Amino acid sequence: MRLFLNLFWYFKKEKRSYILGILFLMASSFLSLIPPYVIGIIVDDIRTHHLTGILLVKWIGFLIAVGIIYYGTGYAWRQFIFGAAVRLSRLLRNQLYDLFTRLSPNFYHKRRIGDLMAHATNDIRAVEDAAGDGILTLIDSITMGAMVIFAMAVLINPILTVIALLPMPFMVWATSRYGSMLHERFHLAQAAFSDLNDKVQENISGVRVIKAFGQEEAEKAAFRRLSADVVQKNIAVAKIDALFDPTITFIVMISYFLSLVFGSMFVVKGSMTIGELTSFTLYLGQFVWPMLAFGFLFNIVERGHASYDRIQKLLAEKPEICDHDKAIDVKPAGDISYAISTFTYPESQQPALCDIHFNLPKGKTVGVVGKTGSGKTTLLKILLREFDVQDGTIAIGGRPITEYKLDRLRETIGYVPQDHFLFSATIAENIAFARPEATQEEIEEVAKLARIHDDIIGFPDGYQTMVGERGVTLSGGQKQRISIARALLIEPEIMILDDSLSAVDADTEEAILRSLKATRGDKTTLIAAHRMSAVQHADLILVLDNGRIVERGTHDELMRLGGWYQTMYQRQQLESLVEQGGKAE
Amino acid sequence: MTTEAFHTEKLTQKRVLPRLLKYAKPHKKALIVAFLMLFLGTGADILGPIIMKIYIDEYLAPRHFVTGPLVALAVSFLLLYAISVVLKYLQLVMFQKIALNIVQQLRVDVFGKVQHLGMTFFDQTPGGSLVSRITNDTEAIKDMYVTVLSTFVQGIVMMAGTFIGMFILDVRLGAFCLAIFPLIILLMVVYRRYSSRIYRRARKKISELNAKLNESLQGMNIIQAMRQEKRMKTEFGRINQELYMAERGSIKLNSLLLRPAVYSVYLLSVIIVLCFFGVTSIAGVVQIGVLYAFLNYLDRFFEPINQMMVQLTRFQQAMIAAERVFGLLDEERMEPKKVGEGHPRITEGAIEYKNVSFSYDGKTDVLKNISFTARPGETVALVGHTGSGKSTIINLLMRFYPVTKGTITIDGTPLEAFDNETLRKNIGLVLQDPFLFVGDIKSNIRLGNTSIDDETIIEAAEFVQADAFIRQLPNQYEEAIGERGATLSSGQRQLLSFARTMAIHPKILVLDEATASVDTETEEAIQNALQKMRKGRTTIAIAHRLSTIRDADQILVLHHGEIVERGTHEELLALRGLYHKMYVLQQGDNGVALTK
Repeated sequence: MRLFLNLFWYFKKEKRSYILGILFLMASSFLSLIPPYVIGIIVDDIRTHHLTGILLVKWIGFLIAVGIIYYGTGYAWRQFIFGAAVRLSRLLRNQLYDLFTRLSPNFYHKRRIGDLMAHATNDIRAVEDAAGDGILTLIDSITMGAMVIFAMAVLINPILTVIALLPMPFMVWATSRYGSMLHERFHLAQAAFSDLNDKVQENISGVRVIKAFGQEEAEKAAFRRLSADVVQKNIAVAKIDALFDPTITFIVMISYFLSLVFGSMFVVKGSMTIGELTSFTLYLGQFVWPMLAFGFLFNIVERGHASYDRIQKLLAEKPEICDHDKAIDVKPAGDISYAISTFTYPESQQPALCDIHFNLPKGKTVGVVGKTGSGKTTLLKILLREFDVQDGTIAIGGRPITEYKLDRLRETIGYVPQDHFLFSATIAENIAFARPEATQEEIEEVAKLARIHDDIIGFPDGYQTMVGERGVTLSGGQKQRISIARALLIEPEIMILDDSLSAVDADTEEAILRSLKATRGDKTTLIAAHRMSAVQHADLILVLDNGRIVERGTHDELMRLGGWYQTMYQRQQLESLVEQGGKAE
Repeated sequence: MTTEAFHTEKLTQKRVLPRLLKYAKPHKKALIVAFLMLFLGTGADILGPIIMKIYIDEYLAPRHFVTGPLVALAVSFLLLYAISVVLKYLQLVMFQKIALNIVQQLRVDVFGKVQHLGMTFFDQTPGGSLVSRITNDTEAIKDMYVTVLSTFVQGIVMMAGTFIGMFILDVRLGAFCLAIFPLIILLMVVYRRYSSRIYRRARKKISELNAKLNESLQGMNIIQAMRQEKRMKTEFGRINQELYMAERGSIKLNSLLLRPAVYSVYLLSVIIVLCFFGVTSIAGVVQIGVLYAFLNYLDRFFEPINQMMVQLTRFQQAMIAAERVFGLLDEERMEPKKVGEGHPRITEGAIEYKNVSFSYDGKTDVLKNISFTARPGETVALVGHTGSGKSTIINLLMRFYPVTKGTITIDGTPLEAFDNETLRKNIGLVLQDPFLFVGDIKSNIRLGNTSIDDETIIEAAEFVQADAFIRQLPNQYEEAIGERGATLSSGQRQLLSFARTMAIHPKILVLDEATASVDTETEEAIQNALQKMRKGRTTIAIAHRLSTIRDADQILVLHHGEIVERGTHEELLALRGLYHKMYVLQQGDNGVALTK
């Protein structure tokens, strides 16, 4: 029940909805008590032959009026209470999204997207249930239960009430217990289903291997096994689920039986009429819901509580990278200088970078090469402040990048990441991502610079072609070139290309590099690449190995040096010649 | 919803429903038993109020208390309910079991079907939607079976039983109560009409919101680097607001047409019963017990209606899902089949391509008139840039796609004539991207092939020099491999996939060499392994490594689907073409590649 306390800020915020909702809910409960009472009176009137036509019409008219008002109040409380509940989930979703936009990359390294999605969907849904159904069951079980007991005890017979209600607590206990058992088994069933899903996913992704090794039958057997497991787990759920209805029926029937047996005694003694006995049994029927609600309440609150805790924990996350107190609101410009003794990723022991010292004058290009995992990407990412360097500084224009406002720093940099991520929107919208107000001419201009324009106009809808699952499937090279166009559109002072040309062929790479050089005359560029050809024209080339600079210089200098760079350069020249074998003729 | 959409939905149901029901056929016996239990249980349920009526009218009202019959009545009342409750439970579980088994069969069928679809199908179908059809859509069908069998069947039988009870008690009043039926039907029809529209909108908004969220989380570094947080928040807020509006819509609909409305109908039926008794009582004598029993019946008549209405939307969703699943079951893009009788065997491993042309889409040829021969034990290296047709040559030999023009023969027998098993056992494929399955090292080498014992696995691993790194893993051959083998380096993954291929001792090796450079140590192991693997096996290789190319007995240079240059190492050198150029270049290279 602490959950309701935790959610109190929201109830306070939505005071009006909750107060009105609860009032209407209580009114509804009260109204629903009237028909059984009226029925009891009519039954007695019929029995004692006191019923006249006019009296009957009066009572019927009264019941119709009750029905109409009940319809109104029933509509009203649902609007107020459930309305407030869905507003809560709207609010929480916005809060989470807002948080997600502020959190630093390190957070996304630690957490799986699937889990974050689950918080934003399932957990919020559980809290919404608590704020809606939870309130409903709480209020209903208390007020409706109290009112029914009151009606039975005060209006009809207190002793009979006690007798009839004797089996009811057992129902609360049983339904609540079933509820938590169900929850447990349901989790297992969900897990089995998710295993099944993983299997199918793996099967579809690995279809070539499966076909090549003739594994179809083995896969089918594995699938059948997992699927049978899903059935088993679901049957376990069904076995509990099926208990609810019969249990409730049985307990209610015992109550009925008790009230009929003892009620008859009262009728015989004359302390009760048959009409009152009829009302009484009808009330008994109405007491079932508050009891059930009480059982449900515990489960709803239990689930909502765990979920709300998870959401709160998430909302308490603080961005690791943020503006420093004295950060200046100036767009960084000038030479870039790296002076790093070591950089170690959080939660890692081994430094990712060691002894990185170099100076990049404004307008020059640096190329970073090295094996996979040598630290190329890290070297670029720390300039974007995806991570902060503890042991050393990076400065632009003589001022450490941490002393600029983060927003201004990012404004300066055009970033083309390694994993060329595009949004499911049109190509034009993707290129204009950083500047949605860009004109079509501007978009086309950068697309031409990135050598993607011709590809785009070849698509059925040109620049309006959708990207992603519901649109065209782009090749890796096309995605890379769109990412480059996207970064070019903001005309950044500093451009970062993180292995952004790996999937385009040598000619296109050459063309893109040439147009970059031509249009970005006085602007700074940092390129990381696997292919030496992408950096051979750079003003400075750094060869990284294990996070250290092992070779540095211009292309010519490094070729003369005869080290790793020269070896790789020549091997790649040969291999690319082989790749383009046909053209070499 | 437009009338047209409504119409097609009805058509869908007409087509899909019978087919879904057909899946219930094998469970006929169980279904009959479950139905019997349902009928008996409902019967017992219905008898309860009648016993109460007898009690009230014959004993309580006239104050006629005789111990014997009263005890008999009480015992039979309790006994009836005890039986009814037990039957209800058994029957509920049974229906669920049947439903789950039906869906299990459907799942196994659809998964089995997908296993035998051709690569053309996989090329044209996004993996995500395929997974969702096999799991989520069948899950929706499960929901339908479970709810239909438990809610609808129960509800309808219960309602019918209640009416039978009413008619037994009083035919005229029963007939009066029938009058509420059209009202209930009307309520259901109206609700169904609106709910399908409103729920569809809500579902659409939920999936839009999830898509937006998922995409934002994936591309958060881009959003932040490009400073678009505010815009994305606005966009998310808009979708969130739309979802909120859609949810408000369903709350409104539910409060207008569900419980409050059903309660009104209930009250109306109570009024009918009261009027009937009231009017009759003014004219003559009525049995109070009958009135009591009627009110009791009405009391439980409406809960099933409430539940059925809630389930209506689920039912519609399941129909749509079922249509998609059946669409997949009817898929015709099957894998190439073996043609003709007989079971030819592969003994030598001689491969011949004769005038082979191929097109994936039926329009542009990606292979044009390819002919070449690989004698047993020879290595043929395929070189050329991306899109030159290298992979297609391999894809055809693997029989991923049918040979439509020209012929491919192995040991003189056309490829089509071989059993799938013979091909898979004798042709070992090494893919560029070594796909690993969730499991351990052993299971990844063995795959599902039970005839491969542990010894063979270790032998294969030793053969490709994977043994060394496997031995260093904490659990060695039992080391668990996470999703897609993320814990291993790319070179290690490649070695594992080599071992996997070697474990089946293929006569023919099909190699798609990886381009990605791996660390030097593993690179050497890979080179050595490749060399050993090729020995004594006919090998068709998409070659990137110069060592593989140089050692090849025949090098085919492909360009736009044609072989533009061919020959052995020496022949090509003598040709003074491409290979010669490479050779010349090599003089200045400190022996990186060709001299190895």
